[in-house]
Amino acid sequence: MTGTIEARKEQVRDVVCEILEIEPDEVTEDSLFREDHGADSMAVVEVVAWLEKAFNVKIDNAELVRMVNLAGVYAVVTEAAGWESAS
Amino acid sequence: MLTAVADDSEQLPASAGRRVVVTGLGVISSVGVGVAEFLSGLRAGRSGAKPITGFPTDGYDHAIACEVVDFDPARWMAHLDPAELGRASQFSVAAAGMALEDAGLTAPDLLGRHGLISIGTTNGETRELDRLVEQEVTGGPERMDPAIARRVNAGRLSAAVARELGLTDVEAVTIPTACAAGNYAIGNAFDAIRAGEAAFAVCGGADALCRKTIAGFYRLGAMAPDRCQPFDKNRQGMLAGEGAGVMLLEDLASARARGARIYAEIIGFALNCDADHPVAPNQDSVARCMELALHNAGVKPDQVDFISAHGTATRANDVVEARAIRQVFGPAPPRTVSVKSMLGHALGAASALAAIGCALAITEGFIPPTINHVETDPECEIDCVPNTAIEASPRIVQNNALAFGGNNAVLILSKFEEHA
Repeated sequence: MTGTIEARKEQVRDVVCEILEIEPDEVTEDSLFREDHGADSMAVVEVVAWLEKAFNVKIDNAELVRMVNLAGVYAVVTEAAGWESAS
Repeated sequence: MLTAVADDSEQLPASAGRRVVVTGLGVISSVGVGVAEFLSGLRAGRSGAKPITGFPTDGYDHAIACEVVDFDPARWMAHLDPAELGRASQFSVAAAGMALEDAGLTAPDLLGRHGLISIGTTNGETRELDRLVEQEVTGGPERMDPAIARRVNAGRLSAAVARELGLTDVEAVTIPTACAAGNYAIGNAFDAIRAGEAAFAVCGGADALCRKTIAGFYRLGAMAPDRCQPFDKNRQGMLAGEGAGVMLLEDLASARARGARIYAEIIGFALNCDADHPVAPNQDSVARCMELALHNAGVKPDQVDFISAHGTATRANDVVEARAIRQVFGPAPPRTVSVKSMLGHALGAASALAAIGCALAITEGFIPPTINHVETDPECEIDCVPNTAIEASPRIVQNNALAFGGNNAVLILSKFEEHA
């Protein structure tokens, strides 16, 4: 199960980096997309659209404020999908 | 940030050219078709919001918009077949015909005079594009209907007006500066007549509600669930709208010569583009555009009797716009209203409809309200004329329009007085 979660996290990280135009080797779970990586905050909307399709979940727009780094994105999608959060 | 600004002295004061007056109005809006219906809607503070009927809205938690539902294009077309036009072109042609009729003119009256047809739009015929995309997704590119593809070009909005009216000595332009396009198109016409380059202009804006608009703004989180509350503390965003607003403009001498009724005079216009951010307005740049328009009109801020704001009711717009207004007008700015509270955001038509609202307010002696208002956002600090129109005698009115990409356009209208 842990393997699945790790694989999902990796997939999420790769797509987030591609959409936000961030180098995957520069990003950490806590580094901030906008402040640390100069990402366009509007592109997070695209991340939400991708997550909803890829994992068949629904993410409320209010969650955007939490999606400032990878940890936030993982947390939001984990809750939305009802995944086991222990990893 | 604005790094370079034009020197005021480069701006030609309006008084240097011909005087430009508004003598005809054509309106297609979610609160009514025709000037009389539109006027009664603005006065009564009527809302055009209702569930969308024009296309499927499955999958949305809410799908309320300000849709035009009582529109018969055939009534306004003697020469063109409505079926050959997309919805936005139908709106343009109908509103143009209405403006002419309202001005007491027929198309043959305009023959032999050089004119301008200037129509602003955000989406052009995106309703048609929606259908092409649907055909492509369901059946592949070979299933895209060529007849629909022919209707897509945004240039047809203005060209269709020329075709219906049989006007050959006109420049027909469609100006696609998004949510400020209506003001751009009217400003373009104002400049042309003032400079003597055109004797008359049929100008304004048109947009048709489409799936792309709903999906895009919904995804951005900019769409309110059920009502539009500009400058309210608890505003939840915009509502999409549609329609067209078209003005017949002419120079004062021609209006006088034919004894035309004059709604108002256009006395100033300015536009700027800061390209600072894709969607967020830049306060300094918006303020600068207002200053340029006031200078162009030759009026001081304290002469403005009310401002028709861009006022989309998004969190970002309303605070930035209100601050820009205070930056220009000081701590006690004029009343600042948003007709989008009633009409939704009709995109390219929005500022044209608002400009018509300004002309009617001047003629009829009132200030339209900002409806759905409960509590003014302390960050906005303006008197938005909550919920109920007020009787007044506005003489000088400012109409704001701000678009994505930092495209700002501001129009100044005045009560017509013989000695300006």
